[in-house]
Amino acid sequence: MNRLEQLKSTGNKAFVAYIMAGDGGLDRLKEQVQYLQTAGVTAIEIGIPFSDPVADGPTIEAAGNRALKQGVTLQKVLEELQSWTFQVEIPLLVMTYLNPVLKFGVERFATECGKAGVSGVIIPDLPFEHKQLVQPYVDKEGIKLIQLVTLTTTDARLNDILSEAEGFVYAVTVKGITGSRDEMSEEVKAFMRKVREKSPVPVYAGFGISKSSHVEMLRDDVDGFIVGSAIVEAFNDDRIQEIEPLIHAVTASHSI
Amino acid sequence: MTKVKICGLKEEQHVKAAKRADAIGFVFAPSKRQVTIEQAAELAKHIPADTDKIGVFVNASLKEIEDTIAGVPLTMVQLHGDEPDELVQAIQVPVIQAFSIRTKEDVGKLKKSQADYILVDAPGTEYRGGSGNVFDWSLLDGADIDPSRLIVAGGLNPGNVHAAIGQTAPYMVDVSSGVETDGRKDTAKIQEFIKQVKDDSMEQTIEKTGFFGKYGGQFVPETLMKAVKELEDAYEAVKEDPEFHKEYHHYLSEYVGREQPLTFAKRMTEALGGPKIYLKREDLNHTGAHKVNNAIGQALLAMRMGKRKIVAETGAGQHGVATATICALFDLECVIFMGEEDIKRQQLNVFRMKLLGARVESVTKGSATLKDAVNEALRYWVSNVEDTHYLIGSALGPHPFPTMVRDFQSVIGEETKRQILDKEGRLPDAILACVGGGSNAIGMFYPFIKDKDVQLIGVEAAGEGVDTDKHAATLTKGTEGVLHGALMKLLQDDAGQVQEAHSISAGLDYPGIGPEHAYLADIGRVEYRSITDEEALAAVISMSRLEGIIPALESAHAIAEAEKQAKTMTADQILVICVSGRGDKDMATYAEKLEGLS
Repeated sequence: MNRLEQLKSTGNKAFVAYIMAGDGGLDRLKEQVQYLQTAGVTAIEIGIPFSDPVADGPTIEAAGNRALKQGVTLQKVLEELQSWTFQVEIPLLVMTYLNPVLKFGVERFATECGKAGVSGVIIPDLPFEHKQLVQPYVDKEGIKLIQLVTLTTTDARLNDILSEAEGFVYAVTVKGITGSRDEMSEEVKAFMRKVREKSPVPVYAGFGISKSSHVEMLRDDVDGFIVGSAIVEAFNDDRIQEIEPLIHAVTASHSI
Repeated sequence: MTKVKICGLKEEQHVKAAKRADAIGFVFAPSKRQVTIEQAAELAKHIPADTDKIGVFVNASLKEIEDTIAGVPLTMVQLHGDEPDELVQAIQVPVIQAFSIRTKEDVGKLKKSQADYILVDAPGTEYRGGSGNVFDWSLLDGADIDPSRLIVAGGLNPGNVHAAIGQTAPYMVDVSSGVETDGRKDTAKIQEFIKQVKDDSMEQTIEKTGFFGKYGGQFVPETLMKAVKELEDAYEAVKEDPEFHKEYHHYLSEYVGREQPLTFAKRMTEALGGPKIYLKREDLNHTGAHKVNNAIGQALLAMRMGKRKIVAETGAGQHGVATATICALFDLECVIFMGEEDIKRQQLNVFRMKLLGARVESVTKGSATLKDAVNEALRYWVSNVEDTHYLIGSALGPHPFPTMVRDFQSVIGEETKRQILDKEGRLPDAILACVGGGSNAIGMFYPFIKDKDVQLIGVEAAGEGVDTDKHAATLTKGTEGVLHGALMKLLQDDAGQVQEAHSISAGLDYPGIGPEHAYLADIGRVEYRSITDEEALAAVISMSRLEGIIPALESAHAIAEAEKQAKTMTADQILVICVSGRGDKDMATYAEKLEGLS
């Protein structure tokens, strides 16, 4: 059974960590995943570096460029995942732009992800309209193709996207690109409530989540949080332990 | 593509039903379809601006004709009587002369006509001006009539128009009674007739939801999908809106200075000793290149969508300057992203943009050229999508951009077609244009796509050579991939990472190519060749000295390839080069690279 299906709400909120594969060398990926698993994250998104990451802000773009300099490719990351012998107990997701997947071959991508134990894939520049390019192949492997919804998604589109959502829904909390932000508006809360009401699967908020205050503000309106830039930065600066309070702020049973 | 004229319209609903037609005919001669000048003027308000309005006359005086031209106004005149050549020549707008065909002898008469176009019709019965009888199309066989001047009429209807086009390959088909029921125009028949002519055309088959064959699409982050869809809807709406076309053409003529000449390059023709060479002078546009054609169209569209902030990318700076110019004209806020490398290469253009009131943002990421500027412009758009329009400068990006940019640039090819028919009475044998993202080329080529005898050649930048790693020859060396919102051809490595392009010309320094070009390359309709930095520089010198025209580095690629192409052609052939821009912006590069020139 796909591990993502176990992510049902237990009262606790999910914490999904994003890391850039190969930032600091591909050999670090394993320890990063082990660290996050031990720290109590719910799932891990493994980012594949891309030369033209238009949906990402400067932090993740810089991490991707560092990884590209190390010669990291989609193929190498999948091989690395397949070589692991330690127990990965939480769902792993691969987040990649479409072009590396096309070049690798969509069917081969799905098969190799299957072999690597990947539970889901996120392709930010593959909109709902074009998802059939990938969907049939990941279906065969039992891998979920995670859809994104954003503040600019119209209601009609939202209904279409949610009607076919699987795994979880990645709800983008800002209109912009990835990266840390100071403010979360009331508009975001209302949007999250709307998505959650309609969604058949858990709704996780992402893009710009970096502080406990963001978590507190959205806690009641989402099923979990996706944290990217803050983690990427912390790993790069060698101060990942500073993220732990954020993880705990999310995952601890809460009754405020 | 064969054009469609719907003739003898008298009612508004029928004019509207004919909105996809290329020409509407009003009959001013005695006929059951006769209209007055006032009636025609009223109906003309519902006709898209780029549709020809043709007045049909039988033995009218020059004054009557001129008054009618001014009163409606008409863009063409069609004569059905025994008008003398002097009258035909005195009329200021293009003239169609109609001939009734019964026998081979009748065919001989029309060959002597002084008119721009020849209309062949079945002989009249009760009234002159077309009777609706089918004439024997085979009479035209072997008559040696230039199809680009030929308009076929007489007994056409939705059921037989295909056959007529197949047999005569005319410039236009003309229908009147064939789209009537009981002597009155029939909305459904009008639409069916147009569909029969147009829907086997390439336009209809390759443009399903923004794809050209397999290329194109809307591969953008979800945040942008609403904006892209809104743009798609807004563009669909203005495409059919005569007011929009009128406004667009108004600025093209009054502000940009169109139409631009198709200059006969006498000395270049002599020097190369091959075909007659004509230059399409996009270098004469205000701001110095073709980019402004598109900038005006998109800025007008943005304002219709209620957006008053514009973001754009620029490579050579020509699109940035064009955008900054139009933003100044329309009082729009303007941010231009430009690669750091390009800023160094094109300092004058950077200053021009600033002078025009735009904010120029330097992009230091990646190769710090056009590709990276597009990335940053897209990111900026993602973050400011509600009130900002992304005014993309080439035939790239997610649907509807490639189609829209092509349409706004098609004025290049449309003018060229009209001008060459005017000057030479026939279409050229070959047309060359440079290709980076591909906007001047697609604008030049598109109106000629269906004219199979016209060889179309796109010229890419080979940089230091296509076998080095410093080139921008995307179609020669690239493979399929998704970049900047569309599936196209890309320079990329085995892992799907997009590679840096190289060209001495900042405007061609892009690792992708517009999706329509990728498609036209695949089906073999356009041939893509490449020219090195060195060859382009040599062409700059030869064009400057032979014709007194200093071309932009981008355009010099097309000129260099034209010099090669001309050697394979003969004196009775015609070659057209799209001179996409002038060399002012490149003067620093020329001074540096051509130092010691004597």
